[in-house]
Amino acid sequence: MTKARFDELIHPSTRLSLVATLAAADWAEFAFLRDRLQLSDSALSKQLTTLEEAGYVATERRLSGSRRKVRARLTSTGRDAFNGHIAALRAIVADATAPPQEPPV
Amino acid sequence: MSDIAPEQARTALDAADRARRQVAEEVGLPRGYWWAMAAGWLLLGVLGNVLPPWPAGIATVGFGVGHGVLASRLLDGRRRTDRLRVSAAVAGRRVPLVVVGMLLGLIGVTVPVALALDADGAGHAGIWAAALTAAVVGFGGPEILRVLRRWVRA
Repeated sequence: MTKARFDELIHPSTRLSLVATLAAADWAEFAFLRDRLQLSDSALSKQLTTLEEAGYVATERRLSGSRRKVRARLTSTGRDAFNGHIAALRAIVADATAPPQEPPV
Repeated sequence: MSDIAPEQARTALDAADRARRQVAEEVGLPRGYWWAMAAGWLLLGVLGNVLPPWPAGIATVGFGVGHGVLASRLLDGRRRTDRLRVSAAVAGRRVPLVVVGMLLGLIGVTVPVALALDADGAGHAGIWAAALTAAVVGFGGPEILRVLRRWVRA
């Protein structure tokens, strides 16, 4: 079972969507992520760099024909962090919806 | 644990779920697969019409084996585009069964159509029936697969 751990690095909405997208894929190309998340090239680069520096994401530059393409994938550290963050968010929601406990008499 | 509000947590979970669903929508087979399948279908229709039954039967079996060998890597539905590879957990394990079931269903459509056209006196009934199915596969294959996946929750 995944240990719930809130991750401040992942939590900002753009970064969460980026990590969630990568968590659902083995890898994704830069252009796919840019289109899906509706980010500019520079904004996506910045987010990927932040995640890469934390060891959550690995990028790979590949030559496809005459064009250079960048692929990103979540590392096992990143996947664990994402799963832990989702578990933490679910715990917060569950705590809020749980019926209040009766105070001891 | 952070002190974020439950509503914020719920919004974040929704965003993560939306991202996952967007990737899940990428499950499918490459466009080229459907056109190759349509071409093969039409070719089999023509061969079935011009060849004696046993070579036509061999061609059909050969087509089935060739499909199994060449398309086996594609049938998991994780490689529809070259822009990403969907994870096995998201794609699930039922996509190959759905594709094969769909192809069997299309055979089940082709044969009665050919028989009906033949009974109606049409020339080259097998070719016309195969052409009809090939058009359905070529133009509508991805959409049919998408609907079938939704039906069986694959």
